[in-house]
Amino acid sequence: MAQAPINPAAAVADAAKIGTKMLTGGRLLGEMRDEDVQIATTPKDLVWKSDKVSLYHYRPLAEKRIGVPALICYGLIGRWTMTDLQDDRSLVRNLLNLGLDLYVVDWGNPSRADRYLTLDDYITGYLDDCVAEIARRAGVEKVNLLGVCEGGVFTTAYAALYPEKVNTLVLTITPVDFHADMVENREGHGFINLWTRSLEPEDVDRLIEANGNLPGEFMGAVFNLMTPMRSMMKYNWDMLEVVDDEKRLLNWLRMEKWIADRPDHPGEAAKQWLKDLYQQNKLVKSEWELDGRRVDLGRITMPVLNVYAKDDHIIPPATSRALGGKVRSSDYKELGLPGGHVGVFVGGKSQKLFAPAVAEFLQQHDAKPA
Amino acid sequence: MSEYAKALTNFWSAQGKAVLDAQEKAARALTDNMQAMLSGRMPSVAEAPGDAGALTAELTQAGDALMQLWSAAGSLSTELASNMGKYVGGAKDDTATAVLERMLDPRQWMAGTGELDDVLARMAEGPRLADMWDLERRFARVMRAWTAMRRRALEHQGIALDAWMRAGRRYMEELAGHASADGHPLDRKRALALWTEVANRELLQTQRSERFLGSQRELIRNSTELRMAQQDLVEHFGKQYGFPTRSELDDVHRSLTEMRRELRRVRRALADAQAAAVPTPPPANDGPVAPAPRAPRRKATS
Repeated sequence: MAQAPINPAAAVADAAKIGTKMLTGGRLLGEMRDEDVQIATTPKDLVWKSDKVSLYHYRPLAEKRIGVPALICYGLIGRWTMTDLQDDRSLVRNLLNLGLDLYVVDWGNPSRADRYLTLDDYITGYLDDCVAEIARRAGVEKVNLLGVCEGGVFTTAYAALYPEKVNTLVLTITPVDFHADMVENREGHGFINLWTRSLEPEDVDRLIEANGNLPGEFMGAVFNLMTPMRSMMKYNWDMLEVVDDEKRLLNWLRMEKWIADRPDHPGEAAKQWLKDLYQQNKLVKSEWELDGRRVDLGRITMPVLNVYAKDDHIIPPATSRALGGKVRSSDYKELGLPGGHVGVFVGGKSQKLFAPAVAEFLQQHDAKPA
Repeated sequence: MSEYAKALTNFWSAQGKAVLDAQEKAARALTDNMQAMLSGRMPSVAEAPGDAGALTAELTQAGDALMQLWSAAGSLSTELASNMGKYVGGAKDDTATAVLERMLDPRQWMAGTGELDDVLARMAEGPRLADMWDLERRFARVMRAWTAMRRRALEHQGIALDAWMRAGRRYMEELAGHASADGHPLDRKRALALWTEVANRELLQTQRSERFLGSQRELIRNSTELRMAQQDLVEHFGKQYGFPTRSELDDVHRSLTEMRRELRRVRRALADAQAAAVPTPPPANDGPVAPAPRAPRRKATS
């Protein structure tokens, strides 16, 4: 087959275009300062702190329409800042604009000194303390819980252990059946589930024994394995696409900033996360124990809204949707959003659907009219 | 400028230079670059210690096997480059060409797929302890663990390189199919997109294979053993000279965590007792407050 002829004029024009793009990109990057790349900027106040855990209360952006306050609970892998990445891609802002009274818990930056913290500490300890503080401040007995990913597991377990303290349970991209990745078995989906099962429990123990914690860098590498070619092209092809457009470049850098902020996972808690849940799948079987108490999903009787991402390669939908068959809630709803794991928070379509659905659900079950 | 922004700027400058360099060389055949791969840094079996007996032999064997794979990958790379000329044409796109060149280079593949290996190696490779000659037994354990880990790492790289070769062959087949389907050669962007798709598929399949998972499991075990052997050596050294050791610090941290649990339990009990005796106080609004006590925690698992 003959090769198509090269048009010299077009080639020169193309080279000039790329050169201009590179020059503009270089100038933009050179002029940018770290303070230009801000995430999680929605105004909030620190209202409670214990050890490294901080509870923040967001300042209202609109008239309060939902009386029962809500707490956003992210996990220990990654950070809650994903829910407030930038002004026009912020679940937090969207919820505040819809009249929610909103709190968020930040677990801080666990160090080697925190290696003996367990998930019991986080769920029946710090999370319970946060709920108590919010209830005290708002003068209510129950709060709404908005759990995200691993934080969704925290709130699910909490709701099962303390149903009397939870008004509604809203879950987002939350794994419940850790072996349900095999239901659809989509290519490239559920690799963490498979990878964790390929290890023996003793491997996890020794990994933690040797490192103290589960390093954030380690989990980041595992995440990158899930999208191998995307990871390889990120800093050349992908970056070139956005580098000469200040707005798009800032969006891209904000996401980079969030990705780079990957705290270490406390060692003992990581053992529970990987062995009890990913390997032995105790949560969906209601066999998991915290503080000597069984986490019985059948005790979840409050209204539940379970939000999942239809193309989530990290938490495949079936692993989230398994909750439906386990709870005894009179109002269990599911909402499948377009996009992947992170797209739920930053995707254009998702922005329009997610927050309004949550606000409507909470309003329907608002025990304390605003 | 922050270190973060500076690093990113430097990185981008380097990337930009690479793309501009590639533009200058655009007239040269892809073959040159593909063949240049063979001059890249090869895993060196000379790094293996000479006195580790059977382990060294296994390491050498793993190194030889990988050398053979690299050689085969080099041949395939040359063939790919030659076929690129046949099947890829259309409007010239220097960026796509540069990226495609990089992506089709097996060294890029190895750099991209080895991230977890690198992290494991960094986690395992602690301080170099060349001067600790008086601690032969512990030092030997470290060397054994290092040799075993290097061997596993070479085997694991072999699996990734094997996957690159499968992807390369499939890419050539699909490239020929795409080019002949509509009678026109693929342009550079479409050729790059096709490589991304084919390579991604192959990598994902490889990562889900028992061979890959088993190899990675062994690599994790070996890197963990290396780190523990190093810690054992350092503990021994620390004890001799009266320095605080990792184990002692862990003891302190364990005690601290347990004491905090106990403190929270007492606070919770106090608050419950007060709540039972006094009417509920009005809601407060300002400033952080001391944590409320809570129920007892279970102890750390082992």
